[in-house]
Amino acid sequence: MYICPMYSSELIKGTLKTIILKLLSENKEMYGYEITQKVKDLTDNKIQITEGALYPTLHALENDGIVTTEIVNIGKRVRKYYKLTPKGKNSATEKVTEFADFINTMKFLLDIKPQLG
Amino acid sequence: MYTLSEQQIDFILNDIKIRGVEMEDLQLNLLDHICCIIEYELEQEGDFEDFYHKTIPKFFKKELKEIEEETKLLLTFKNYYAMKKTMIRTGIFSTIAIVLGSFFKVMHWPGAGVLLVLGIGSISLLFLPLMIILKTNDSNNKRDKFILASSAAVGFFLCWATLFAVMHWPGNGIFWIIAVCISTFVLIPVYFFTGIRDPETKLNTIVTTIVLVAATGLQFTMINIRPAVKLTQIKMYSYIQGEELLKKVQNRSASGHHENSTQQSFAENINNKAEQIKSMILMNAIGESKIPKDFESEGIIIEEGNLGIAFFDNGEGIKLLSELKAEISKYNASGEINIENKIPVDHSILDIDFDKIGRYSNYSVLNSITQIQMYLATAENKLTAFK
Repeated sequence: MYICPMYSSELIKGTLKTIILKLLSENKEMYGYEITQKVKDLTDNKIQITEGALYPTLHALENDGIVTTEIVNIGKRVRKYYKLTPKGKNSATEKVTEFADFINTMKFLLDIKPQLG
Repeated sequence: MYTLSEQQIDFILNDIKIRGVEMEDLQLNLLDHICCIIEYELEQEGDFEDFYHKTIPKFFKKELKEIEEETKLLLTFKNYYAMKKTMIRTGIFSTIAIVLGSFFKVMHWPGAGVLLVLGIGSISLLFLPLMIILKTNDSNNKRDKFILASSAAVGFFLCWATLFAVMHWPGNGIFWIIAVCISTFVLIPVYFFTGIRDPETKLNTIVTTIVLVAATGLQFTMINIRPAVKLTQIKMYSYIQGEELLKKVQNRSASGHHENSTQQSFAENINNKAEQIKSMILMNAIGESKIPKDFESEGIIIEEGNLGIAFFDNGEGIKLLSELKAEISKYNASGEINIENKIPVDHSILDIDFDKIGRYSNYSVLNSITQIQMYLATAENKLTAFK
């Protein structure tokens, strides 16, 4: 699903939607390549989203009414910009909150102490 | 930064199509993505073709159309969930409607027909097709898929045979025969001969086959015997003969002269109301207000059943019954009728609480009304004959 040099795919499986929704909630609109680059930059190359995972997820989100698209002509080709719908904005907040809660539960469950310094 | 020419863009788009990506939306997404990678990562003087052929394999494990397959899977997964939900809901709805409809039918309450049509309609047209789609999706085994589809077909025809039978619609026999044929010649042989080979499923196959054969045998018996049809025919001929006798007696009195015009008008009113009630019941039973002369050749049969929705709509039928009862009282009360010629209402259909009329079958009401008209015609005969 991901090409990620640091984490196993099982570990971050299921977080792609959350990542996309969070990015779209912080940026007005984004296109596919931009999303992959942004994730790469923000995570310092630790997480790289593959196209094979990104586009199916974007299509599913569009089909669910969570994102809407705008098509812009770039010379001979077209570019699809994705942005959140009002329903998508709620969904983004829910997903991030859910994930934060999950991390806290995992911290408690695995007894992970916060690193000092 | 590399600048792509129009030919190069066409080349990429064409290559995406050749590699099996058919969804236009996805083609355009991938085209832009690949173009971006080339523009940002290839130097101005770089080798386009070499870079392209090194880039494209990064998009997939085996082939590019995996992306389209993954997209379709994600999209259908959503439909899958909605279909599953609809299947469960229609299943619950159908079960409730069929159980209630059967109960209403036994009690001769109005609304039974609507409930049964809705229940059987939704189970056969929504629940069963959705079940086939979802279950065949779940299973990779061709045998299971085939058995599931043929059992659903048997279920479908049984549903419609039952619906046609209880609604007294013509043609239920054809559905029974189709269901029995699919069951006997397709479902049971395929199920038995494919299941018996595998030692693991051998016992289960034998047991289930026995149950299936027994169930199919019972259905076949139902097609063959059908005692209800013969009984119905006797009831129908008896009713028609009653009607013919009534006409003969009525014709005789009509040829005489009636001196009491008030009494005559009461008698006419009684006959009018009686005919209206009978028409309403016949309309529900055979779709015509009178039994046509060629009913035998047309295969028209009045199935024993309830009085029909129209009878209870706005209390129309009950109103007519009350009016008929009132007209008979007026007739009986008119001066010159002696005790022998009075029309007896006791123990007839007019003697019951009209709110409970739904418990009586169409034949009970039809025969009772004809009987009342017969009493009237006999009384009128005597009266006209005396004068």
